[in-house]
Amino acid sequence: MTTIMNLFGRAKSKNNTDESYYTAGQMALIKARFNRKLSGRIASWILITTLMLGLFASFFSPVDPTIKGADSDYRRGAPQMVYFWDENGFSLRPFTYTYTKEGAKIDLKALAGGGLAALDALTSSGALTSSNQNKYKVDQDKRRYLQFFVESWEYSFLDLTPIGIDFEWRTKLHLFGVEQGQVHLMGTDEDGKDVFSRTLHAIWITISIALVALVVKLFSSLIVGGVSGYFGGRIDAVLMAITEAVRVIPPIPVYLACAVALAQIDLTSVQRYFAIAVVIGLLDFATLGRRLRTHILTERNQDYVLAAQLSGASNWRVIWVHLIPSFTSYIIVDTLINFPYVILAETSLSFLGLGLTEPVNSLGVLLQKAQDPDIQQNMVWQFFPVVIFVVMVMAFVFVGDALRDAADPHSENK
Amino acid sequence: MIGSFLASTWLFWLLLSVGGLLFWRSRSSQYFGFVLNRYLLALLTLLLVSAIVFSLMEVLPGDCAEKYIAYKNTQGETITQADIDAERVRMGLDKPLVHRWASWITDLTLRGDLGFSCAKRQSVNVALGNRFWMSFAFCIGGLVFAYLIAVPFGIFSAFMINKPWTDRNPQHSSAKRLLNTVWLFVQKAIDLKLRIISYLGLALPNFLLALSIILIYVFAGESTPTGLFSDQWRDQPWFNESGFQYGKLDDFIAHIWLPIFVIGWSATALQLQTVRALVVDETNKLYVDAAKARGVSGVALWAGYPVRHSINPLFNSVGFDFQRVYNDLPIVAVVIGLTDSASLLIEALAMTNDQELAAAILFLVALVVISMNFVTDIVLAAIDPRVRRSVLG
Repeated sequence: MTTIMNLFGRAKSKNNTDESYYTAGQMALIKARFNRKLSGRIASWILITTLMLGLFASFFSPVDPTIKGADSDYRRGAPQMVYFWDENGFSLRPFTYTYTKEGAKIDLKALAGGGLAALDALTSSGALTSSNQNKYKVDQDKRRYLQFFVESWEYSFLDLTPIGIDFEWRTKLHLFGVEQGQVHLMGTDEDGKDVFSRTLHAIWITISIALVALVVKLFSSLIVGGVSGYFGGRIDAVLMAITEAVRVIPPIPVYLACAVALAQIDLTSVQRYFAIAVVIGLLDFATLGRRLRTHILTERNQDYVLAAQLSGASNWRVIWVHLIPSFTSYIIVDTLINFPYVILAETSLSFLGLGLTEPVNSLGVLLQKAQDPDIQQNMVWQFFPVVIFVVMVMAFVFVGDALRDAADPHSENK
Repeated sequence: MIGSFLASTWLFWLLLSVGGLLFWRSRSSQYFGFVLNRYLLALLTLLLVSAIVFSLMEVLPGDCAEKYIAYKNTQGETITQADIDAERVRMGLDKPLVHRWASWITDLTLRGDLGFSCAKRQSVNVALGNRFWMSFAFCIGGLVFAYLIAVPFGIFSAFMINKPWTDRNPQHSSAKRLLNTVWLFVQKAIDLKLRIISYLGLALPNFLLALSIILIYVFAGESTPTGLFSDQWRDQPWFNESGFQYGKLDDFIAHIWLPIFVIGWSATALQLQTVRALVVDETNKLYVDAAKARGVSGVALWAGYPVRHSINPLFNSVGFDFQRVYNDLPIVAVVIGLTDSASLLIEALAMTNDQELAAAILFLVALVVISMNFVTDIVLAAIDPRVRRSVLG
């Protein structure tokens, strides 16, 4: 592998006739070509970082993202900045300040006795406006130092019970926290839930939904494309006619209809959403299925297929063991390229209130909140998930672009 | 008698006569044989689409009878389950799905009747009116916007794809190397920037983009460009005593750019990727090398060889691009407050469960996509000798 890398790296002009180049597999070549793309490499690092943050969200987030971890003393609070120095001096250990809520100056007695005039005075003083509710007093003398690898709320780091193994590793270890109270790097929402922790947890839910959809999509396109291409003739004609018909219907309205139908069945919102992910995957077989069919149509007359058939391999085996593996690299690349589109479908559904809904942390849910005028004007920090979302989708698209270029076998000598 | 018969079956005769004409021409021309083949295939696909759409609508809760009875209920009548069942029988809803689908498709092919919307209690054709054409215009506008940006920039991006950031050619003098490096760097930077901007359109969800633009207007204290017209012009006619109302046109343009821009920008990313991939594919073909060997270079080489050939598949995919853009339109329409067929579709699916209306709109979109594919197929076969050879044998 390293020799191939070198081929494309610094030593590329010297030994183009190196043997390892000609014996390298398709995947190794793609990997080597991919590593030459600067934008793709940067994007893939950003992507991996985001995915890791999402995968180990509980470890990286200092606060429990559910309502249990909501900070009732810091609702609608702005991000708490982390400093290394201020007027009071420098500290090697980063710290944040103590934030306290000023009691609202509502003179209830005057209100009770004074009637409308007192009410007018109260409203015009601004104590009731929502932007005033975000005001917290910052006590610069009370520093709260950040602690690393602290014990805080409990979470399950690894839970194998869903797949049937009775194993759960629960831990309380977190990357960082503060001495007293909680630290809210990206502020809190109207319930006091930590925006940073919610966003980290949302990443993985969104990714896992996309994964389910893509795996289902892979299977449906493999079946349609494989069967259609291998058997050809009448089966091919019928399957392709259906594919063509599915391809012309805009998908989001179809997902919508399915979401509405699933809403009648009594499922938890996560179960329902996974059901929608399956629907998204099932209906998305057209493009990949057709590509696969064309590939298999050209491949099925090759000698190795004939050899397999003569050795008595069943049709199923020829398709799955001989024909489809010759197409693996394309399939992988296509799957990665399709990732952002599936994620976007999730957000569209959540926007219409038919995807996941509030207590669940998914990027679609958090994005949907961003359309609230209150948040747009008074709690700009709740746009943090939007930033993460945009960065993640961009990273996916750039990685997809670089992969597409890398998977093209002709792109070498240019 | 015959007049009314023809009037109620006009679409069928139209379809039949087009088919007959094509059949007659196909006997003397291989090309028209291909056109006839495509025509029949398009009709078959439409039939399949209608079946899929129609059975999809079965999953929506409620049916026509329940809605009608619910409406009567609001009028103060007490309703029992027996009434609902009786109504169902009267409307023919107790018949199997295939039966209802057959009657729907017959009405459609005979006279273009898209059925009756129960939630709106009027014919779907009336409920839609020219709203579908409105959506159509938005989509085409968005597509044109996307193409205008994606085609030139995609070609440029493909041109830059495997260029290095620095010039290390030892045969160049160091001054030339420096000059080349600066030039390459500028080009690479432009390419990267263009790609980032166009992918931002994809990464920023449509609704957020539309909302942000509206928000900017709110903060600036201007009136927001939601809907199609501002209040002042909404009820004004296009023409009055003093001739054409240019003020209304101005107002219309000031509002219509927003949906077109939003859906156009998000379509740009995919178009750019496609154009880029297509041009790169063509660049690696042997005929480009042959042209290079003949001494063709620079813009003439690019415009004359790979770009020219990569335009065809792009043209061929216009239908599916339309479908993709329409796919994005409903959510934008909801945010901006448009009253076109896309927002009707959302309303029908998510709020009123209006199966007939939703099915009709989905069918119309599919109809447009299929017709576009039909037209691009036959046009390509007519103008491109390579395609003609491959389809006519």
